[in-house]
Amino acid sequence: MNPEKTRVVVVPCSGIGKPFGTVSREAAYELCEELRPESTRLVALAKLVLGDAAARELLAQYPAVTIDGCKQMCASKMVKQSGGTVAHEVAVLDVFRRHKELKPEGIAELNEAGRKLARVLAEEVAASLDSSEQTVKGASHV
Amino acid sequence: MSELLERKVGIVACSGEELAEGTVARLAALKVLNELRPRDTVTICLPLFLAGGAGDRAFARLHPTITVDGCDLRCAARGTEKYSSKPAASLVVNELVAECGLKRPEGRRRLNAAGQKAVEATAERLAALVDQALGKEVGTEPAAEETTRPLHEEEREVACSCGSGVAVTKLSIDGRTVELVALPLIFRHLRDRGLGQDDEAARELFDTVKIYNAVPPEAEASYREAVRREYATYCQKEKTP
Amino acid sequence: MPEYLETTVDKFTFRVAKDRLYTPQGAWVFWMKPESPNRVRIGLADYLQQRSGDVAFATVKPVGTKLAVGEMLGEIETIKTMVELPSPVSGTVAEVNAALDVTPEVVNQDPYDKGWLAVIETTAWEADRAKLLEPEAYFLAMQAEAKEELKKL
Repeated sequence: MNPEKTRVVVVPCSGIGKPFGTVSREAAYELCEELRPESTRLVALAKLVLGDAAARELLAQYPAVTIDGCKQMCASKMVKQSGGTVAHEVAVLDVFRRHKELKPEGIAELNEAGRKLARVLAEEVAASLDSSEQTVKGASHV
Repeated sequence: MSELLERKVGIVACSGEELAEGTVARLAALKVLNELRPRDTVTICLPLFLAGGAGDRAFARLHPTITVDGCDLRCAARGTEKYSSKPAASLVVNELVAECGLKRPEGRRRLNAAGQKAVEATAERLAALVDQALGKEVGTEPAAEETTRPLHEEEREVACSCGSGVAVTKLSIDGRTVELVALPLIFRHLRDRGLGQDDEAARELFDTVKIYNAVPPEAEASYREAVRREYATYCQKEKTP
Repeated sequence: MPEYLETTVDKFTFRVAKDRLYTPQGAWVFWMKPESPNRVRIGLADYLQQRSGDVAFATVKPVGTKLAVGEMLGEIETIKTMVELPSPVSGTVAEVNAALDVTPEVVNQDPYDKGWLAVIETTAWEADRAKLLEPEAYFLAMQAEAKEELKKL
């Protein structure tokens, strides 16, 4: 991760009660470690909420991508409440609705469908980030 | 206040994504919740708890909680104390790893072997703390009869198609097949109270059945007789080993 | 706003609205009198929606469909299970909640109000009504079920 190239902070909910929480966590890893390691920074939600200075500083500097397991949208809500800007909020449930063949199971360990769903989600977010970056570059050239 | 309040322990894990120790905390909590102490514990979802989940916060006020944190930031412990009440006990993975002389876990996404050992050690310690919080002898395993008891009749019954899991019994009444819910549970409840098959017991039986099932007034006598016969069959089976 | 009966099991609170009737399986039936005395609105009770999990898809038979009691009115697919919804009354489907297509999670978020599923124009309401449970009776059944579910852990 190159701090100079960081574009967004990624905050998953990592909810422990449902497989979708684990999908949010896995998708965040996929995005930050595999797909866009240079331009993303993973931040733990609880650290942010409980006032960790370094986490809050990151949130002040960069917009956030939040990944929530369910429609309670805890990560999105808490990032906003902590003073952050949510550039892109994703609910795993919405991604699942577009890919209903990828039904996730398991919380401690996701099944293959769950891992695929996480990957699909991460790819969608990565594409969205790329598209936003292009828009900014295009605007800067006007 | 809940009529069904049963003493349990809430487990709050930090699940911190940035460190392997956060993953250890998460997996250790899940091991205790699902394998080691499933009847004694309830999961408290930390993000929901922090975001204002009323049910989780209320539970943590009424029941003891044990927090499992990956590192010294102790987000789960601090969050629990801030939004509910002080945890009954707290574990910190990196402290436990040092105490047990284990290698530092690595691999925040996929734990290495040291990470897996840390999960085992943390889960064991957490289970012991659960036992302590409930006033049980540390290391209590579920009683033999709980793990080896034969399946009761209702566990082999068809479950209601609504997905609720409640047993549905099909009886023939006035030439039709009628589905009645919760009969095995009602039967067991009466037997556990020592009720036989006299008229008074039959009255109580049918009154209880009517709480859970709509009985057409014009067919009440037939339903009463069918339920009474089914209960007699149940009692006979209970006598036979 | 209806009044509710409430019970708490572990960290879950289950509510039963007192202004409607229930099937033993956990659907609610709200009689829409006096505005529409021949119509009932139908939805899932709080316990059933919580137990079933987050709703991913909700499909209900279209407007105009004629149904007898027990015939399939809809299916609710959650992340955990498929909940089949037999019609608790005889009649014709008069309205279907449009929100189910776009935001089916409304069934979880507001089961007794915005999360309604369908309105049925009834053909035998008095007879069908007799087979439904009063809220107090459903509440006891639901409590017993919740207790049994805990014991199965």
